Amino acid sequence: MIRFDEVSKQYPGGHQALKQVSFELNKGEMAFLTGRSGAGKSTLLKLIMRTEELNQGQILVGNRNIHRMAASEIPFHRRRIGVVFQDHQLLFDRTVFDNVMLPLRIEGYDKHEAARRVRAALDKVGLLNKEKLNPVTLSGGEQQRVGIARAVVNRPQILLADEPTGNLDPDLAAEIMLLFEQFNQIGVSMLIASHDLSLITRLKHRILTLDHGSLIKDELQPSKQEPASRNSHGANV
Amino acid sequence: MDSGVKNSARPGPDRPNPSRPNPSRPGPSRPGGAKRGRSLGQKLKGLLGLHRDGAVDSLRRMRAQPLNTIMSLMVVAIALLLPALLYVGGKNMAQFGESLADTNRINFYLQTDISPTQIELLQTSMRDNTLVERVEFISANQAAADFAIWSGLGNIVESLDNNPLPASLVIHPVDTRADTAVQIRDAFANEDGVRQVTLDQAWVERLESLLQLVDRIVLALILVLSMAVLFITGNAIRTHIASREAEIRVMSLIGATRAFIARPFLYSGAWQGLLGAALAWIFVQLLLLLFRGPAQTLLAFYGEQYQFIGLDMRASLILLAGGLALGWAGAWLSVSRHMNRWH
Repeated sequence: MIRFDEVSKQYPGGHQALKQVSFELNKGEMAFLTGRSGAGKSTLLKLIMRTEELNQGQILVGNRNIHRMAASEIPFHRRRIGVVFQDHQLLFDRTVFDNVMLPLRIEGYDKHEAARRVRAALDKVGLLNKEKLNPVTLSGGEQQRVGIARAVVNRPQILLADEPTGNLDPDLAAEIMLLFEQFNQIGVSMLIASHDLSLITRLKHRILTLDHGSLIKDELQPSKQEPASRNSHGANV
Repeated sequence: MDSGVKNSARPGPDRPNPSRPNPSRPGPSRPGGAKRGRSLGQKLKGLLGLHRDGAVDSLRRMRAQPLNTIMSLMVVAIALLLPALLYVGGKNMAQFGESLADTNRINFYLQTDISPTQIELLQTSMRDNTLVERVEFISANQAAADFAIWSGLGNIVESLDNNPLPASLVIHPVDTRADTAVQIRDAFANEDGVRQVTLDQAWVERLESLLQLVDRIVLALILVLSMAVLFITGNAIRTHIASREAEIRVMSLIGATRAFIARPFLYSGAWQGLLGAALAWIFVQLLLLLFRGPAQTLLAFYGEQYQFIGLDMRASLILLAGGLALGWAGAWLSVSRHMNRWH
């Protein structure tokens, strides 16, 4: 689903964010991306979204070399990927419902179909009763779940998350991870950046560890749901 | 990806009910949903919906900031008002140009002692000239009567013992060219019985060049003030864009095309131009209402054929369409300048 071949990224000014990173995330696979702050986790996710350009190597997403895409194709590439941000990036000038609606509005969905999907997504994250509220009135955990609903509402094949539990206490963080596992079970490929080692080691998924831009560890942990092997395909695909 | 809007996230007091995220429910995230099989019709409907949303959304935002909106619209309206008024003024002056072009003629004032036979002969030879379209005879009595009416000095004319005005022959040339008139004058000026020849041509030409100048001034003002409207809306849209930076970034991240992001801004530029032009139209009508009375009275002095002309349908439509186009273009300028930052 996602393949990195010898990918390097250097920011203007000289900071080497990624050094020859290679790995492959299979369809339906769930993996964590960990490492200290500044190890390159965010950069790696940004390269997949193509909000940053790489300097060397190539990245294939669904067998397409995304850094060879024309600029006009980038929006359509991003629509196939759901993203959850640490600071959730919700818009406080509209309701929870309208926030989750945004990806569907962008794709020009029929209103009724869109509303049905928004409610399904909100139901999934347990916030159906808060659809009319402004997200600013919600707690941190709820805001993050609205962010997740928005990321999955257009049924992406890939879900990326950048420190999705960074601002949450341990119980809420575990809640969010449980939600991610549920999406993974229905076949969504997931790559979750997190520095919360105690949380992610408990979850028995593959863990990619970055250190100063290099991929230093790629541990395959026996998963609860599937016999995880580097080349296995997701059980539910 | 972790940039921008600082969140208000904090470990909340809420604990989601453990049973709430319900894995047994059909999830919204099944890969390859129905959307990938959408038909062309559905896509077109979707696109129409996007445009309707853009148009309605931008109007709603204008309504949400009434003071800002009214001030922007007023500036646009005033910028469009001036050329519209000048256009109306020019139109009214042009009436004179047209009717004076008709009065392009050469007057041959005759000697008082000329005999009717001589006049007849002169008139015949004039009619035979190919440059002459029509010859008109105005007798001394008729000239006096015309003068009395035209000047309003009827009493004085009547009080004179004998008529001081000569009879005249008036030639209407076949065309309005200056050398035609000069040729005609030269052909008959030295005929017996002709005392004096006058040519109105120079005066007509002067008026015509004046009207041309007015036309040019209107055109130049339209250009300059159009630029003003362009930059006024451009600037207004620039501030809109700045105030919605966070939204634009989020939309770009979740796969909005440039067209999608630009659309509401282009619509608000177009609305601003159109509504500004509509406001200008209303102002023009109000001002014309104010001018109409005195202008009609003034025009009536020059004859019944002169009527006060307002802003006609065609000019009104041009005003509205021009406003719309300028607003859109102004927005486009701002949007395209910001475009490159959206990726």
